[in-house]
Amino acid sequence: MSLATNADQLVEMAVIGFVSQPTMRPGGYIPSSSGEAVVLPGMSGFIYNARVGDNAFGWAADHLEPGASTAHPELDKDYAMHYLTCIGNKAVITSGMAKGAEGIVTGEHARMLVDFAPEVGEMLCIGDGVQIRAKGRGLAFTDYPGITLKKCSPELINAIPLIETADGKISVPVTMELPIQIMGSGAELGPDFVDQDLMTGDRQLMADLGIDQMKLGDLVVIPNADHRFGRGYKPGAVTIGLCIHGDSVMIGHGPGILTLMTCAEPLIEWRIDPHANIANYLKIGTYA
Amino acid sequence: MSVKTNADKLVNISVMGEISAPAMPPLPASPYALSSEGQPFLLPAWGSIVYNVSVGDTAYGWLADCIHPGVSVNIKDGMGNNGLNILSCVGNVAMVMTGNAKGAKGTVTGKSGRFSEQVILHFDQATREQMSIGDKIVIRAKGVGMQLPDHPSVKVKSCSPELLDALELTTTSDGKLAVPVVAVVPPHLLGAGAGLASEGGSIHIQTADAGAVKEAGLDQLRLGDVVALGEYDSSWGHGYMRGAIGIGVIAQGDSPRAGYGPGITLLMTSATGGIAPQISGSVNIKDLIL
Repeated sequence: MSLATNADQLVEMAVIGFVSQPTMRPGGYIPSSSGEAVVLPGMSGFIYNARVGDNAFGWAADHLEPGASTAHPELDKDYAMHYLTCIGNKAVITSGMAKGAEGIVTGEHARMLVDFAPEVGEMLCIGDGVQIRAKGRGLAFTDYPGITLKKCSPELINAIPLIETADGKISVPVTMELPIQIMGSGAELGPDFVDQDLMTGDRQLMADLGIDQMKLGDLVVIPNADHRFGRGYKPGAVTIGLCIHGDSVMIGHGPGILTLMTCAEPLIEWRIDPHANIANYLKIGTYA
Repeated sequence: MSVKTNADKLVNISVMGEISAPAMPPLPASPYALSSEGQPFLLPAWGSIVYNVSVGDTAYGWLADCIHPGVSVNIKDGMGNNGLNILSCVGNVAMVMTGNAKGAKGTVTGKSGRFSEQVILHFDQATREQMSIGDKIVIRAKGVGMQLPDHPSVKVKSCSPELLDALELTTTSDGKLAVPVVAVVPPHLLGAGAGLASEGGSIHIQTADAGAVKEAGLDQLRLGDVVALGEYDSSWGHGYMRGAIGIGVIAQGDSPRAGYGPGITLLMTSATGGIAPQISGSVNIKDLIL
């Protein structure tokens, strides 16, 4: 059953980015939470061997961005791509050997993350254009004004098995709950820009809570998090997030959680489902 | 000094900043920021010369966003500003080098983080009247590299030997470093700054939920108060870690924004709980070093 939305009022608009070259600072090292200096890949480029649906933990990588990572070299146009693109939007490659191939947006980090089939990825060149049909900004549930949607395409909202409960709430499938005190880097940013990392420095806690079983693309819930106009603590608030990138060795960092739904009052309920993953719902990544 | 240090080995080096001009975001959001409830607001924010807010004053209630007490400096050169922000330590002496207040002395009281990255200084109010935006201020930086040989799990950051001395540190019977503080900030109330650098910058108490702030005993904080950060390891950046504990000073005022509130400059951290905060009625750097 899909919930009533204002999807027929949404505008669909093209934005473009380009497959980005990985970058490093001189030295290349980042400090791990235990104080070791390490050099690791993870961000930008195209990741040939990890897709949405794969593990978020366990890679010898930092902030692994599945699929192709795209950016626009002009800052204001890059911001437009960031703010307009929604999860589940279609993308098409506009240049190079893979021209015409289609993909799906699965995340927004410092770059947009787009899932392509492996055979498309093999044809990708750094700098190839990836045009996104941005649609979803302004999307709202007709009957639930207290719930804010962010970066949800109509296709994603229709694909998630949402349930309207008897007491006027909606129920969302998630793979796990994240306690508010482990929400870290990204608290300083607005909730309409990129993601907020969960903090995985306490490895034993991650194992105890099963958080280290998280998959890229998982839907998760953060109770007591209000992400309407920032990313903050509010008792009773509920935020539904999406795991967009992999774990990090750095303290205060970890898999990136992008805000999909949020409410200041307890209007969202959740139910645990190990298959609550956008790869499953959109038939992409490891579910393609 | 009650706790041994390697202060006699520390290098004393100059860093320079210029009094910063207040900045506002460009169109189209100009000039508003958003409160935690989504209300656009327009208020003075960080930087510049603030004539009527000083260390020792309340951290709450000002019609301002993360106001810096006293005078704030930075420089345009990004790498140089990193040097200024990282090497300056709370308690370091500063001197005005140009303008009408030339020769006046002040003291470093804190730092600010991402999107601001300034060093915050106390000068008496008569001196502030003489200052101009752009005046050069040299800080005699000393403190980076400081260690406590008897407390190897404790990392000291942004803390001058003078402040460390004034804090009246002791060692508990079970070998922990006892630090007087006014309150302990629980980890769920630490917001912006998580995951960011701890050698400079700031980590903010988030104050959108007034009840939670009061419950934690944080509703009466003053600028300059020394606080503990519960379950946070700031050894290599700020992040949640059970058993870890930090010490910091309230360097900036409250904020209406979500995830923000009074900003803390980190002074010490122990990943393994080697610090024992001692809650005391008043522990403020105004009384300790100003």
